[in-house]
Amino acid sequence: MFIGIDVGGTYTDAVLTDGEKIIGKTKFLTRHDNLLLSLLGALDAVIAGQDITQIRRVVLSTTLITNIIAEKKYPPVALVLAPGPGLNPAEYRFGTLTKVVAGAVDYRGREIAPVNSTDIIEAGRDIKSKKYDRAAVVGKFSSRNNSQEILIKDILAQETPDLTVEMGHRVSGQLNYPRRIATTMLTAATKEVFAEFVRSVQDSLRSRNITAPAFILKADGGTIPLESALHMPVETIFSGPAASTLGAMSLSPKGQDSVVVDIGGTTTDLALILSGEPLLASKGAKVEEYLTHVKSFAVKSVPLGGDSLVSFQGGQIEILPERSGPPYCMGGEGPTPTDALRYLDKVDVGDKTKAAEVMNRVAEETGSTPDQIAKSIVEKACLIIVNAIEQMFKEWEEEPAYRVWQIVRKVKIRPDNIVGVGGAANGLIPEAARLLGCKAIIPEHAEVANALGAAVAQPTVTVNLRIDTEQGYYTVVEDGSIGEVPKGRSFTEEQAIELARDKLYEVAEKLQVKEYVKTVEVVHSEVFNMVRGWSTTGKIFDISIQTPRDILCYLGEGESGDE
Amino acid sequence: MNKSDKTGLIFFPAFDWAISPTHPEREERLLYTRDQIFEEGLMDLPQIREYKPRLAEYKDIARTHFCVPGIKEQVTEAHLIAAGAALVMADALMAGDIRNGFALVRPPGHHAMKVVHGNRGFCNINNEAIMVDYLRKKYGLKKIAIIDSDVHHGDGTQDIFYHDRDVLFISFHQGGRTLFPGTGATSETGGPTAYGRTLNIPLPLGTTDEGLHFIVDRLILPILDEFKPDLIINSAGQDNHFSDPLANMSMTAQGYARFNEKLRPDIAVLEGGYAIETALPYVNTGIILAMAGLDYSHVVEPDYAPGMFSLSAVKKAEITEVVEKLWDIWKHRNDNNFEALKAKQDFWQRQKFVFYDTDGIKEHQTERLRLCRDCGGYLSIVSQAMHQTGNINNILGLSIPFQGCRVCREEAYAEYERAVKRSTFDFIYLQDRAEDLYKVHSREKGTEWEEE
Repeated sequence: MFIGIDVGGTYTDAVLTDGEKIIGKTKFLTRHDNLLLSLLGALDAVIAGQDITQIRRVVLSTTLITNIIAEKKYPPVALVLAPGPGLNPAEYRFGTLTKVVAGAVDYRGREIAPVNSTDIIEAGRDIKSKKYDRAAVVGKFSSRNNSQEILIKDILAQETPDLTVEMGHRVSGQLNYPRRIATTMLTAATKEVFAEFVRSVQDSLRSRNITAPAFILKADGGTIPLESALHMPVETIFSGPAASTLGAMSLSPKGQDSVVVDIGGTTTDLALILSGEPLLASKGAKVEEYLTHVKSFAVKSVPLGGDSLVSFQGGQIEILPERSGPPYCMGGEGPTPTDALRYLDKVDVGDKTKAAEVMNRVAEETGSTPDQIAKSIVEKACLIIVNAIEQMFKEWEEEPAYRVWQIVRKVKIRPDNIVGVGGAANGLIPEAARLLGCKAIIPEHAEVANALGAAVAQPTVTVNLRIDTEQGYYTVVEDGSIGEVPKGRSFTEEQAIELARDKLYEVAEKLQVKEYVKTVEVVHSEVFNMVRGWSTTGKIFDISIQTPRDILCYLGEGESGDE
Repeated sequence: MNKSDKTGLIFFPAFDWAISPTHPEREERLLYTRDQIFEEGLMDLPQIREYKPRLAEYKDIARTHFCVPGIKEQVTEAHLIAAGAALVMADALMAGDIRNGFALVRPPGHHAMKVVHGNRGFCNINNEAIMVDYLRKKYGLKKIAIIDSDVHHGDGTQDIFYHDRDVLFISFHQGGRTLFPGTGATSETGGPTAYGRTLNIPLPLGTTDEGLHFIVDRLILPILDEFKPDLIINSAGQDNHFSDPLANMSMTAQGYARFNEKLRPDIAVLEGGYAIETALPYVNTGIILAMAGLDYSHVVEPDYAPGMFSLSAVKKAEITEVVEKLWDIWKHRNDNNFEALKAKQDFWQRQKFVFYDTDGIKEHQTERLRLCRDCGGYLSIVSQAMHQTGNINNILGLSIPFQGCRVCREEAYAEYERAVKRSTFDFIYLQDRAEDLYKVHSREKGTEWEEE
């Protein structure tokens, strides 16, 4: 049995599945003052009366870190930056004490300016004197050569031993210095509170005699053991949209192109599944005001929901991007899409007579019939969804690309299915699907899609390897590790891919997910001949490999309709 | 021009395209530039908006060039994307979505002339020229200034606009005695109807930032003030850099960035620059920051030290002399002897020899320009290209200006029909830019088609 729990912004849901069907599910309002309590409440509800020994895995998805960052409930982190040449460091504004120190490495990891220890000692003392207990040390191109970051950390450790220091190359090896600074800062800020949460969860599981491994869901839809997540708490932000997408995916046909449309009270979230794989955003997530390196699903939010206010100005129906309370049929003030759907018997919430009342009122004001009004509202809402879907595909097609084949290839994919999740899905998705010429899927159990998504999510491992044979070293983007390769031009692409594969297994082992790595796919492999003075002196390889992004199981028959 | 505060950027390094594995125009060329601008996080800056390039259409190329035998034989997809990137920047600018833009793309184009028999100076088609003609056709722009800041003379761009009085072409470069393509003397000043609209600034070896800014302040900016172009284009080569392996100048990233800050180009398009590690990452970062109005003072090459380069008094005097000479040409640009010339002959004619260094092609051209008061005249080019294989191509290209008058159009069409009948050319091209219609006739196939 597999357990998935999602502690979301509004609801907490949990699901128990045997890999073929859903055995138990629960859903209740999240207690914001105590997320752990919400989590355990959901857990206890689904395991009640079950054989604990049959549980093989528990996966959690939580807004803990998202909330901490949003509410700024984290300790201050000072920055120690070694930017070297480029943008004026005054542009690095992260709203915290920032020390710019000497030292620089270039794009190939060569040291171009040494660090200066008195500089660093002074910075450390000043940081301490200003009551900071944590610092993030980040150098430009530190993923190509981490020695300066390590040296700076060592000097700080010696001079200011009670300063906790996080290093940029350990957090992300991807290019983009400002994002690495932000991600390192947020990691340093949330590590302790996250560790505390993990400890409580582990204690709670133990006290319930649950010995199955516990995982946490990341924003990119992959899971990692709680223990391994300790050094990357920021990656657990935005796991909600990932959970809902994976849940909807497991309830729809395998391997197809689908749009997951999650219609909430005030917003509708869209996510894409292309050839059976969820689409990741091309850039890291934006966490509050910070652009980060955290990989997440490409999610588009539209201000449309069951509670959106509908206005009738000059006979024109408009769905406003705002909410003024619950729908009329549930005791609110104005007409909403939910009222229209209730009137047309497409949803089963609220009071139908109230819905009829408000439709009649509008019909009188506009000289129309209530039936017509309700249908126009539904039509309008569908159009908003359809336009947003079209827009999302267009944005995906217009993502910058850096290779000839990517520009030449004519991509114009339109979905096979629209998978509707959320209260108003039943009333809106069939019509939206008709307009797009694809199939509507309103899966059963959609109300616990998030928890189901957590339950079916799998560990994923990615390795981006960069090899520079002229200098004879490689770097692994994911963990910032650096090692040697033979110098010169003899190293082949096959050897490079083999090395990447070895590194992937090493990373998997470190994350304690090695047993999940069955097959490995090469996402891309590029070789650049380095020519100096008309002869080839080395090669640069850029290799990206990963485990296939699949889920544990598909529970849906993929049939449209509800039941 | 518009209210946007964004700088558009297309970065297209063509990581899967090379002339040959060890050629300077190879996959690796913009690799370190990629690393630098991505690590800097420039694409995330609120002042910058990144765009995806598109493929230019054949018609966009036919509007500017006579590609022999046809466009598909001269361009790869990479060329279409580099040219298309410039067009995307042009459209974004005209739509008011950006206030300026930089197409940081390869392959380059400024050595590609009007007639294209092959690759010369690493170029097949001219990205800036295609963009300028597109802007004029699609948006009706008239006056455009192109400043070529590549160390090599922009002979292709010069050739394309030599008789075009609405396009001001200024190139500064290492003097032709010591560098490919050998042209670009101050005496090349534009054809009889466009005198003074081509200005060449040959610079002495080792010219520094000081020398560059002397010509910018004393010549380029004052001339632009008087010309009042609708748009300024920077044909942005980066090989005047002190570390460039193919040239011998002494400019720096700071010099290039300040140049762009002063010039304020509406669109910059990357040209040459082959110091792929020591110059390009820094020069490109500097140009992007300068165009976006950001502080570029920290963009300093690691192997640069203040005071490394100085301009000798002799060289300074040499540059001053060039500036004075060109200023004189510019001042007298409108008192040419067009009427006297016109009284004697209907057509002005010159012979040209063009060498294609990359492909080893030798081309002989006879260029005839109808001396027309109304539209500047249609152009007729007879070209014979001898390929290394011994293959010879004879072609006739006829080009009607955008504002082509009735007489010039009729005469060009008549010349086209006569040539088709006479059957002496392998290919005949008619570029009717007034009607945006581009015809090709093949003798061998006996057919005619339009480029679309």
